[in-house]
Amino acid sequence: MAFATGSSISVTSISCSFKQNQAPIRFSSLNSASLSVNAKSFPSLRLRTGQNRFQVSCAAKPETVQKVCEIVRKQLALPAETAVTGDSKFAALGADSLDTVEIVMGLEEAFDISVQEDSAQNIATVQDAADMIETLVEKKSA
Amino acid sequence: MLSYLCRATSSMKTHCFNQKFFHSSFPLAPVQLPSHQETHFWYILPNEVKNASLLNQYLELLSPHEKENVFRMRGEELKKGALLARALVRTTIARYQVNPQVSVTSLKFRKNIHGKPEVEWPHNDDGHQPLLHFNLSHTSSLIACGVTMNSPIGIDVEEKQRTIKNNILSFARRYFTHHEVELLAAISDPEVQRQEFIKLWTLKEAYVKALGRGFSGAPFKTFTLRYKAAAKGSFHLSGNSNSEASEITVDSFENASDFTSKWQFAIFELAGSHYAAICRGIPAEAEGSVPMKLTVWKTIPFVEDKRVSGTDAVVRIGGLFD
Repeated sequence: MAFATGSSISVTSISCSFKQNQAPIRFSSLNSASLSVNAKSFPSLRLRTGQNRFQVSCAAKPETVQKVCEIVRKQLALPAETAVTGDSKFAALGADSLDTVEIVMGLEEAFDISVQEDSAQNIATVQDAADMIETLVEKKSA
Repeated sequence: MLSYLCRATSSMKTHCFNQKFFHSSFPLAPVQLPSHQETHFWYILPNEVKNASLLNQYLELLSPHEKENVFRMRGEELKKGALLARALVRTTIARYQVNPQVSVTSLKFRKNIHGKPEVEWPHNDDGHQPLLHFNLSHTSSLIACGVTMNSPIGIDVEEKQRTIKNNILSFARRYFTHHEVELLAAISDPEVQRQEFIKLWTLKEAYVKALGRGFSGAPFKTFTLRYKAAAKGSFHLSGNSNSEASEITVDSFENASDFTSKWQFAIFELAGSHYAAICRGIPAEAEGSVPMKLTVWKTIPFVEDKRVSGTDAVVRIGGLFD
């Protein structure tokens, strides 16, 4: 688990899916840390800097999820009848790793954010992507 | 087509596993395990598998969990692809008849500590686990499974015509290393550049999958792949007859792995339609650059197997292999 003391660490993404590998904390030149934790029963968490406790937030805004759905739909050239929602897994929609990486690039452009390359390959659902985006956007404006 | 396949994952059908109900009673041709220098590569073309009862036959090979995953895919073609992928893996491994207690349907899979799928063999008296390694890759039009003994393997296949939505150099700058970007930027013909990009992608994917540490274990920017002319000392691009002598090497900016420090690559055109890349570990003490002995089969399990290595279905692009 990561603790924020003042503004010493800001966590850019915590995935709520079970990860079997413990990735070390990496610090990019943006002074952000990407942390994967084994968190199989945790809801989507976001740490806010400057606070001394965790705040469990609701999932990302519907508009963000919607925008991610559009980008995914476009990248994968999905037929209109295929529904894409927050729960949708990229793999189940037919995305391979090249698609996923392209989707992340599309998200970076659409939201003017920068995603760490190893995070790019870790997102599994539309919701994961939307949550990650909002954390990064918030961090940017903080 | 899959809509009238039985969705029930009940065990009834599995227990009624009986040859005479099947579309084909052609058994799986047993195959000798690859030697330590060999790599076996099996592939199937989904477009050639249309028969509903054959697809049902494959469905019956899967575990309940695998069946659920198949039906979770969104769309008939994706369901069929997922089904064929599991059927290919199961039938391929079953051919090697590693353990008489284990049949194509009773094979169990698990993920290793890093999330890489592997076979879970029943425990022997001596606790010794067989050393068969495999790796799977698929596109909508081709699914492949690579097999080795006693060395990690990663494979990746891509359609030759694959395009990306982003600009190739923008993408490469974002995800590839400086050397690789330069290689691509030096290509003036956009079509050749696109092809080289796809080949490089498949090689990098194959390496990461061979490492088996998950994508976050080896981000693409942390290692460079190079083509080297084995005879001369200069770099040159692949795609012409001079590629016979080319070797592909990897330079990692971090410590690559714990137990093998040498990696062997092969990349070839497959079935005229795909690029296929293989990466396998070779023991650190192996001398020099040893060519990979590659055997390729095209298969429709229970229907036909065709060895296609040495034919024009397999055209070498790079790497040292026979």
